[in-house]
Amino acid sequence: MKNLTSKQLVGVGLFLFAVFVAVPVLIRITGRWDFYFTLTSVALLAIASAGVWLTFYIGRINIGQGAFALIGAYVSAILVVKGGVSFWISLPAAGLFAALVAILIGLPILRLRGVYFAMITLVLTQVVTLTALALPITNGAKGISSIPLPSGISIFGVPIIPDFAAMENTKLAFYYAACILMILTYAALYRLVNSRLGHLCRSMQQNEELASSIGVNISYIRIVIFAISSFFGGIGGAMFGSIAQSVYPSSFQVADSVNFMLNCFLGGLGYVFGPMLGTLVLYFGWDLLFELGKYQLLVYSLILIAVIRFLPNGLLSLRLGKGGPK
Amino acid sequence: MQRRTLLKTAVIVTALQATMALAENPVLKIGFVGVTSGPAAAWGISNQRSMEARAAWINETGGYTIGETTYDIEIVSFDDQKDPKRAIAGMEKMAQEGIHYVVGPNVDDGAAAVRPVAEANGIMYFPYAFPKSLYQAPASNAVLGMVANYQSGPAIYKYLMENEGVKTVAFIAANESDPLSQRDGGVAAAKELGLEVVSDNVTYQVDTTDFTPVLTPVMRSRPDLLVLSGVSPANAPQLIRSARELGFEGLISTETAQDAGVLAEGAGDLANGFISVGGASTPELASPMMNEFVDRYKKMFGEYNDESNTKVYALEYILETLKAEPSAIKDVDVFQASMDTFEAPNPYMNGDAKLRYVGMSSFGQRRQVAVPLVVNVYQDGVFETLFVAEVD
Amino acid sequence: MEQILANGVYLGSQYAMIALGLTLIFALMNVLNFAHGQMYVIGGFVTYTFYGQLGVPFVLALIISCLTLAVLGALIEKFLFAPVIKGSAREESTMLLAAGIAFLLDALILLIFGEKQRGVPKIVNGVFNYDFRLIMPYDRIVICVLAILSIIAFICLMQYSKTGRALRALAQDRTAAQLMGVNVDRYSMIGFALGAMLAGLVGGLLVTITGVNLGMGGPTSIKAFMMVMIGGAGVISGAIWGGIILGFMEAIGLAVLSQYGDITYLLIFVSLMIFLAIRPQGLMGKPWG
Repeated sequence: MKNLTSKQLVGVGLFLFAVFVAVPVLIRITGRWDFYFTLTSVALLAIASAGVWLTFYIGRINIGQGAFALIGAYVSAILVVKGGVSFWISLPAAGLFAALVAILIGLPILRLRGVYFAMITLVLTQVVTLTALALPITNGAKGISSIPLPSGISIFGVPIIPDFAAMENTKLAFYYAACILMILTYAALYRLVNSRLGHLCRSMQQNEELASSIGVNISYIRIVIFAISSFFGGIGGAMFGSIAQSVYPSSFQVADSVNFMLNCFLGGLGYVFGPMLGTLVLYFGWDLLFELGKYQLLVYSLILIAVIRFLPNGLLSLRLGKGGPK
Repeated sequence: MQRRTLLKTAVIVTALQATMALAENPVLKIGFVGVTSGPAAAWGISNQRSMEARAAWINETGGYTIGETTYDIEIVSFDDQKDPKRAIAGMEKMAQEGIHYVVGPNVDDGAAAVRPVAEANGIMYFPYAFPKSLYQAPASNAVLGMVANYQSGPAIYKYLMENEGVKTVAFIAANESDPLSQRDGGVAAAKELGLEVVSDNVTYQVDTTDFTPVLTPVMRSRPDLLVLSGVSPANAPQLIRSARELGFEGLISTETAQDAGVLAEGAGDLANGFISVGGASTPELASPMMNEFVDRYKKMFGEYNDESNTKVYALEYILETLKAEPSAIKDVDVFQASMDTFEAPNPYMNGDAKLRYVGMSSFGQRRQVAVPLVVNVYQDGVFETLFVAEVD
Repeated sequence: MEQILANGVYLGSQYAMIALGLTLIFALMNVLNFAHGQMYVIGGFVTYTFYGQLGVPFVLALIISCLTLAVLGALIEKFLFAPVIKGSAREESTMLLAAGIAFLLDALILLIFGEKQRGVPKIVNGVFNYDFRLIMPYDRIVICVLAILSIIAFICLMQYSKTGRALRALAQDRTAAQLMGVNVDRYSMIGFALGAMLAGLVGGLLVTITGVNLGMGGPTSIKAFMMVMIGGAGVISGAIWGGIILGFMEAIGLAVLSQYGDITYLLIFVSLMIFLAIRPQGLMGKPWG
């Protein structure tokens, strides 16, 4: 992180303070305990959205993240319930499995571009949902329910992660866990974008043929990026399954895939932290409009349309003048 | 965004003040978490409207007295968009509002997903989902709000075997969790009764609009009875119409509640003879109170939905149980303890029917509302009662 | 066998019509219109209201559906899509707008037309039954013929009218068309209105068979996307072929694979993915859309 300016450091510091101190304190003062779940959801969905954003970064419209989130959720649930594995081991396993699937599927489909790639990933979401319905290991239509809460982990008797089941307030624990994961994800994303690989991605986004002609191994980069993207999706999905303590084929479906993509658009495709902001606004916004009753969807969609009408490059384009962490 | 948030808060505050000014009684909030938008909207909306119509009625007539206090009833609704993630958020919202009694969710995955939240926050919830694990111990806080397909299915098949001489049966289900689970339950029940299941693996996508190609292979097996497992109100008329147009002459039945108006519009006379599970609004069964409920519902929302015959019950059960055990208002343990013995007259049914909790034989504990298992047959735009049974 | 073919033709013709409107809008403005299915639903509800409720003759109700959607489409293009396309750095941003419009239309449909499944009286009664080998209700045959006629009319419009030529020029090369004196803004609006109108027309036609409910919008859009991909994005003939192929795939798939039950659609989707992976531009699309 050598290239962080002091201004950015202050920003990061403020952000960490807000997430880990200010929000819990505010929730305690206002007593709005329900916001913990909403914000936890935002953090987890933002992780998956980060993956979608990354595929945008190589110029691909990805409407398939729901598929990888569902794969992640199932892998973790199966490992925990049927294999008796600790959740904290199943979590990276879920991400890695999603990445593996992404590599296998990515080999043929990453040759596609534009709306064709968008469509094939959309179909992929349906394929995974239908597969989950048909397979015996996923328990088919009945889903996997009554998943135990994450157990504790200790190394040499020193507790690293406490046992969630023994905890008074699992909401707070899940909130912290989700936020830590989100911050790790975005730190990794930021690092990646500002690395040599990120530079190559940008050149691919501009023009794949040109990038290829100057010696960039584009098919290798595409696969790597898609695998990382799906890894994020798998992690987000696995964590969600653990909060809901149940996974169904409908836990992540086409609507989720579309929402992940919309999060990126809304935040702004040109900004690393765009998907995080987009997720916050889209998901939290729906929650805030809850009081409007049957007009909720109407007002929500009108606001959405107004935002894109007047800020077509995303919310973060408001500060376009400063350049932003591109 | 700042100004918008401010504005929104202002709107909400004014709205709150308005309700407070009107209400003289303390308010008892009852929650609803279910799907009121998208393809399955009909399920949740009929639910929500039943509750709102009943609450408005109670408030208009002076409120509902529990113990010493008379309450106005307020329904707090949350649209979960049939997404289990949203359903959790909805249940959290209910906990936030200090609500201990919630109706919904409408589907299996949502009902399973909200279980941890409900149990952690002391919320009793009344889902319209059938998985037994929701109601069997160690699960404690869910109460099935209707008759499950594994209870109504066998009753219907048995009746049809005895009265119509049905020997073979075919099942068709939408390719998603709830209908598939219901189909599997139905197939098992049919086999147990000695019916021959001639086709049980044809499924259709939820978004199918044309069922002719889907039904063509099923029709080839020429069953006496075609069961539409877990069919949504939107798909039922199309399926019936396609089956009849393909020359199917046997019986058609389902274990979910349907709406006569929708059947009349979508399938017309072709739906005659269609067997489904209803509530208590057939002319013979409906009490004056049921009729008034239907009138009030119509006045409030323009038109009635026959599905509400079943859905009117959950709220009534909650309120009646609280009346019997006033301290349960804040303490669901008291509520649970009283479920074994609770009994009150059923105001929606003629005769001496009782409101009580059942489910011993299906779940091993009383975690189901006793609603009459009314099996209807559709005839020329209205439902006629075929037979009435009870669930234990 | 006859039955499968007939089912295929019937499904194919209605699918092709749905895909046509979507592909037209895509060809003209590179907009993947997520709200296409909702427009189709509105078309169905308008016909339901006028024909089913108010007793207006069916053809007139159809025309009202078309006009409603054409006006709606024109307004959406002029006040939403056109400015957003001009102002956005990456043209995919219109997807967010389209999704927002889809949400908005969903909300409006729920508030205006309610949540129930709706249907209208049959336009023709009776069933054509050839020895139980080929069964087709007469109203389906009528709708199928009407759909095919509309497709032919649309092709003629695109081929021989001035508007059609301008639209085709626009689809081929926006800049060149502009240089040749085509009023790009005006024809974009006309094209969008025409695409929306097609959605309204097919919605109005199909309400007589399948009825209509507010949940049909999203899935219809997705199905339309698939057809457009099979045929090739932004190509009129591609959309027609895509529709017909998907129609036949469903008809044949459901008949042949019925014993596999739950995985019929899984196989259809997987074969679609394999097809696209082998032929990324669809049957007759421009490579890379």
